[in-house]
Amino acid sequence: MSVVEAIRRANQPRPPEESVRLRVACTCTVGTAVATCASLDEVSWTTALGALALIVVGMAFSYRTRVRPPGWIKLLVAGGAIAACVFFFHSVTTSGQGVTGVEDPLTALLVTVLVVHSFHVPARRDLLFAVAASAGLMAVGAAQAIDLGFGLYVIAWMCFGIWSLMEMWLSASGGGRMSIAGIITALVGMTAAAGGVFFVLPAPAVAVRFDFLAHAGAGGVIPVPGALAGDGSEPGQLAKAGTPGGPTRIGGYLGFAKALDTALRGSLSQQLVMMVRAQRPSYWVGETFDHWNGRSWTSTTPAARPVRQSSPIVLPVPEGNVPLGPSDLQTFYVLGSTADLVFHAESASQLWFPAPKVYVADDGTVVSPIGLGKGAIYTVNSVVSAPTPDELRHAAGGLSLPVASEAAYLQLPHPYTRAHALAARVTSKAHDTYDKVEALIAWIGAHTSYSLDIPPLPAGADTVNEFLFGNRVGFCEQISTSLTVMLRSLGIPAREAVGYVPGSYNPVTDLYQIRADDAHAWVQVWFPHFGWQSFDPTAVVAPENPSPGIVALHDIGHALRQVPPLPTGTAVGAATLVALGLRWRRRRPATWAERVARSAERAGRRVGLPRLPSQTLIEYAAVVDARRGASGWTPLARAVEASAYGGRHPSLSQQRQMVTAARRLRHRRSHGRLPTARRPWE
Amino acid sequence: MTSRVRPARPISPIAAAVLILGIWWLVAHNSGDGWVQALGDLVFGTLLVGIIGPAVFLRRARLEVINLPLDCVAGRVVDMQLRASTRVRVRPVAPAGAEGYIGPGRAGAPTGSLSLCPEYRGVYTHLVLDVATAAPFALQWWSRRVRVALPIALYVRPRTGAPDVTALAPREGAGDGADRPELNAGYPRGARPYRPGDTQRQVHWRATAHANELMVRESELPAAEPYVIALRLPADPDGAERMAERAQGTIALLLDRGDAVVLETDEEHGRVIAAVESARVAGRRLARAVAPGGVPAGASGPGVAP
Repeated sequence: MSVVEAIRRANQPRPPEESVRLRVACTCTVGTAVATCASLDEVSWTTALGALALIVVGMAFSYRTRVRPPGWIKLLVAGGAIAACVFFFHSVTTSGQGVTGVEDPLTALLVTVLVVHSFHVPARRDLLFAVAASAGLMAVGAAQAIDLGFGLYVIAWMCFGIWSLMEMWLSASGGGRMSIAGIITALVGMTAAAGGVFFVLPAPAVAVRFDFLAHAGAGGVIPVPGALAGDGSEPGQLAKAGTPGGPTRIGGYLGFAKALDTALRGSLSQQLVMMVRAQRPSYWVGETFDHWNGRSWTSTTPAARPVRQSSPIVLPVPEGNVPLGPSDLQTFYVLGSTADLVFHAESASQLWFPAPKVYVADDGTVVSPIGLGKGAIYTVNSVVSAPTPDELRHAAGGLSLPVASEAAYLQLPHPYTRAHALAARVTSKAHDTYDKVEALIAWIGAHTSYSLDIPPLPAGADTVNEFLFGNRVGFCEQISTSLTVMLRSLGIPAREAVGYVPGSYNPVTDLYQIRADDAHAWVQVWFPHFGWQSFDPTAVVAPENPSPGIVALHDIGHALRQVPPLPTGTAVGAATLVALGLRWRRRRPATWAERVARSAERAGRRVGLPRLPSQTLIEYAAVVDARRGASGWTPLARAVEASAYGGRHPSLSQQRQMVTAARRLRHRRSHGRLPTARRPWE
Repeated sequence: MTSRVRPARPISPIAAAVLILGIWWLVAHNSGDGWVQALGDLVFGTLLVGIIGPAVFLRRARLEVINLPLDCVAGRVVDMQLRASTRVRVRPVAPAGAEGYIGPGRAGAPTGSLSLCPEYRGVYTHLVLDVATAAPFALQWWSRRVRVALPIALYVRPRTGAPDVTALAPREGAGDGADRPELNAGYPRGARPYRPGDTQRQVHWRATAHANELMVRESELPAAEPYVIALRLPADPDGAERMAERAQGTIALLLDRGDAVVLETDEEHGRVIAAVESARVAGRRLARAVAPGGVPAGASGPGVAP
């Protein structure tokens, strides 16, 4: 068959679809997809409602004209599809947003095609196309979805889609009916297949070759460009260190300001601040501090310089960093109020941002010129230097810090004699920087306690001394500051970094969810050749990018651990026993007569004589005996029927003998010698 | 003879599914959105069940014949009732027939009617059917060939062909010319026990009641001698079918005339010589008839019912 013939055959008109239920199901499927896109603001609700109305009208029209569709409707559908395609390509080529600008025109294209196509769906195949196109619409919507609310639309669309497909089968089978067991089997199969793939597939990754969407969201104007500002809801408020009695900002964290006062602790909320799509979990650093006064951290790096570029903005390499390593793309979706810091994984090299410039400091701190509010989106490409412990142990040569900078990162307000002695004692067996850091972290983990509820710092007291030699209770700021100070006392350049921990990974959305209480402080240690490396004496960072399946299994396991074991185990055990009992009752052991009859049937099948439904056992045994040239089965069949219908039951020993004889007969070859010596049942 | 479950023209659905999932994969791994992948997983599950699921449904389908006539005629449509555990499309292969759907319908009845049109006479103890389904999503058809046992054997008698008039022509010098008297003609001589070949008209009911066994009248004339039709079917199925049709037509003519007929045929288990009292009995005998040393005509397998 030539290609032309194949195309012609594929385009042959199919028999008209008569099922109204199928059309209703398809209309619901398509309508749900359109509504999904409207909920994600890809099309307006007005447009969506209009499209829905037109789809309903179109479906009704095509049902009325299903037997003989008018010729002009094909021209209308073709013209509409061509016009939608022209509009799509025009929008894409003129938007200048690259791939990110495709989604809205693509949504418009698919909605238009669905609307136009609904006027010409005479056959079942056309309805199947409508369902498939709605799947495309859902995919476009899924590419925009970042929260679990999208799941409700997915469930609705799947329900309508499955209904449509089942109606297609019922229509194809001439008006059948799916049994409940069949539906359950299909759903279980689907869920198992989808779940299996979900658990196996790695998380989807983003390609760096595309331009990324950047959006300012509901932000505001920063009064002093380049200065740290308050949260997005109050863009006019400049960032400042908190006070014990003052209001807390940004979900309660007081560190995203010009100074980090370790004596203060805001009340961190569970508010979702950001969601991050990234190729691997990282600490999302906001800023670093180098100057310690015994109570607060401040930064002495020169003021941030503006970097003006269109996206992507190429960021200068921070001082002391090495631009070597794998690329790590992160897209940040701002959900709540946060500072105008541009959080990112160390160290940022490119930035897709909704402003033509950003302010960049020497330490890598990036400050936004605009307030980032809810709905803001930006993407950072970082070059992640991730050396192994062995590489860090043998780090030498290559990059070195300027003398002035090294002095800044070794600065201490006073000699810290006790802290130095402690650090020297703890690291006495360590011969390199990495082992010293690890030894100090291990000591802190073994000898201090983590608590957010710490006693107030006495006036004039030093945070580090109070933590190491006082109550030894603190949170990330005290712990990381103590490590930094001890490292500096040993002559190792270190600094304090603040930002967010990776947050909880959602395996469905493939996003890290960052809440306000994920704000964190940790330590950055400088290594020759590798630059600044982060160490967290407070928490442990997941070593690898988690796969959705592993995280989901972990979540399931965590949920199961919450289940009380005794009552649950009792209930499950009881249910299992009941199920086994019911099964045992249904599958009671076969009686001797059933076993003899089954043996006869198996022997008959072996010689090509399956038992007919109309044959009695005696008739069948006679046929089998005739075929096998022997007479072993007939007396057995007589005994069975005499027991079953005549009430002449053999003794237990006779029953056993008959079962044994039947088994031997079954295994005996045709025309062989059959047991005739002794027949106790006769 | 149950064959393996096999897909019908699977290339298009599988190619379309692979294309859809491939595009989906590309979108997921370029948008980087977990929802795209999660939705793609669901679409994958749906496509997998839609394409592979019919095979499972088909393997689990149970089909049985619950009602059928005892006899039918080759070349004529015969309806039978079937019951299926799940809705399937059924195309009769042996004997041939019209395609239909059996299984639970809108009304809930799991039964359906199947029209067969056997081309050849024979005794059918099984039906050979091509069973297909696309449940649950009508994305891919799978089929298998099954053999369904009939609860009773179906006798397909040959068509009633033109009678063989040469066999009925009077034979010269044989003494049984065209003026052959009827069976009950002549002078009654007495009664004797029934023998195969005697017709119902010859039964002497009074003597039967007296002797407590079936007795028939005996005439003095030799007019009651039956026609003996010795049928030797050729090995060629079509030739055998035509010959059986002529025999059926001849026997029908003779029986209509009131003559006694003894039919001699070869059956699977050997030669059978017996009287036929009706066209139905003759049809059954002819249905069972085989060429000498041959296999039953039209039978779908071993186990020809007695």
